[in-house]
Amino acid sequence: MAIDIKAPMPGIIMEILVDEGYTVRRDDELLILEAMKMENPIRSPEDGVVKTILVRKKDFVDTDQIIMSLE
Amino acid sequence: MAFEKQLEELRQKKERALMMGGPEKIKKQHDAGKYTARERIDKLLDGGSFDEIGMLSHSDMPGMAHKSPADGKVGGYGLINGRPVGVLAADFTVLGATSSRVAGRKEHDIRSTADRHGFPVIYLGEAGGARMPDIMGSAGLASYGGGGRDTFLQLMSRVRRTPLVTAILGLCYGEPTWMACLADFVVMVKGTAMGVSGPRILSIALGEEITDEELGGWELHAKVTGMTDRTAENEDECFKIIRDYLDYMPSHNEEVPPAKEVPEGSGENMSKILDIIPEKRNRAYDMNRVIECIVDRESLFPIKPLFGQTAITSLARVDGKVVGIVANQPRVNSGAMDTDGIEKVISFLCLCDSFNIPLIFLEDIPGFLVGCAAERKRVGAHVMNFMNALGLVTVPKITIIMRKAYGMAFWNMCGSGSGADSIVAWPTAEMSFVDPVIAANVVYGATAAATPEEKEERIAKMAEGTDPYGAAGLHYIQDVIDPRETRNHIIKVLRRTRDFSKTKGIGEHKLANWPTKF
Repeated sequence: MAIDIKAPMPGIIMEILVDEGYTVRRDDELLILEAMKMENPIRSPEDGVVKTILVRKKDFVDTDQIIMSLE
Repeated sequence: MAFEKQLEELRQKKERALMMGGPEKIKKQHDAGKYTARERIDKLLDGGSFDEIGMLSHSDMPGMAHKSPADGKVGGYGLINGRPVGVLAADFTVLGATSSRVAGRKEHDIRSTADRHGFPVIYLGEAGGARMPDIMGSAGLASYGGGGRDTFLQLMSRVRRTPLVTAILGLCYGEPTWMACLADFVVMVKGTAMGVSGPRILSIALGEEITDEELGGWELHAKVTGMTDRTAENEDECFKIIRDYLDYMPSHNEEVPPAKEVPEGSGENMSKILDIIPEKRNRAYDMNRVIECIVDRESLFPIKPLFGQTAITSLARVDGKVVGIVANQPRVNSGAMDTDGIEKVISFLCLCDSFNIPLIFLEDIPGFLVGCAAERKRVGAHVMNFMNALGLVTVPKITIIMRKAYGMAFWNMCGSGSGADSIVAWPTAEMSFVDPVIAANVVYGATAAATPEEKEERIAKMAEGTDPYGAAGLHYIQDVIDPRETRNHIIKVLRRTRDFSKTKGIGEHKLANWPTKF
């Protein structure tokens, strides 16, 4: 089952901490979203494998935009 | 047997009342996945504890007596977790649970008895709206005021002396909405709706076409209006949430909430706090994880968790006794509190002050969310309303400055001079008027020619003295503590300011008069 990771708020992708194919565990940091001058770690909601990453470093993302999907 | 005929008549009348709106209407209710009013009461209360009043009441309209068992509102008393409560349940199978004069008397009876003797009332709402034609015409309309000088006010206004809980269990337009807006705690079941007027009226009167869900569904009220405190997947969960909530509440404002045994393992995770708080000053984290370490295990009971998420308001227990947590949430908008967050905190201050629940402020706030949109939402007025409410709180207040404490928000979160009984900081605290970058800009000007080195130097100058030792050294705060000591610190402060205080933890309830909704 695929899980979409969405941006919780508008911001800029500061760092992507995983690659496609990585195995992640619940609560692992997936990427850092800079918003309101704050670095916000986006964590994995479940255990899984990173299927696709839809953003690149320095991309601007909007609220609810899908940034990554897990399997 | 003596009086056989009379007893048989009584039995028949009660049997008729128990049939409610009849098998067909009851089936419809069940087919819609809903319980009847009587089933709801049974599921809410401790088993077999329901003690009904007004079972024989009925409509006062000519020819309507036999069509209106209990006049559409089942009411009485019972127990929840062994403590008395009053309960009123709208019966949708009887004339659509419309509001009426006779049931109004029953409601008044239960509400005023609960107030006089000191126990909560739970209103199980469905449908609503005044019954027609009963209320039509001048005499009809005015009769709904109850006939006394202030009989209407006694139902439609309140000073918080005992908890009032409202459940939204159907498409509610009318009385349940008013009761929700007067209540201390509102639970809405998914799939229901709450509003002043329903889609049908809106379609006729204004030509507006809208669904119940869009007009007043759970998402609107949980996330946008904040008019519901919690959402339930179904009715069973709703009743469990209400029972759990009342475990955190005193029966009335002249006692403290019941204490519980401290669950094993509480406080064990205090050292984990150091791993949750990031060392980088501009790295966000989830404040909930910090709170979970501090309070008794599994004791968090969030209020309005989906609304105004820049702030967290939650009931919890520390050392077995109930406390109210007000915390900033760095994960949302960097913790900059918006007007929704402010309103949520104010309503929580009212709840805690009204029911003798000490407040713990966990401060990590870069300031209030400002800007054009915020000004249009009267952010200034909200900030001062917040201060006014804080000034009226008479329960113990404990402030922990965890990380950021900037500007006016420092005082709103019960900073120095804001009435805290105890105010301490963590060594990680960063306290100042504004962010050093902004300060350098204001003091030296943004356009002034300066090399990057000079700019850095100016920012560094403005960042001087933001550690908590400046304030602690001059006794503006009382101490700087190891974050791992926070739970013990709170327990010690509450022993002297609540348990062994001459007030015995009973406040003055000045906020009991504050509006119940915002």
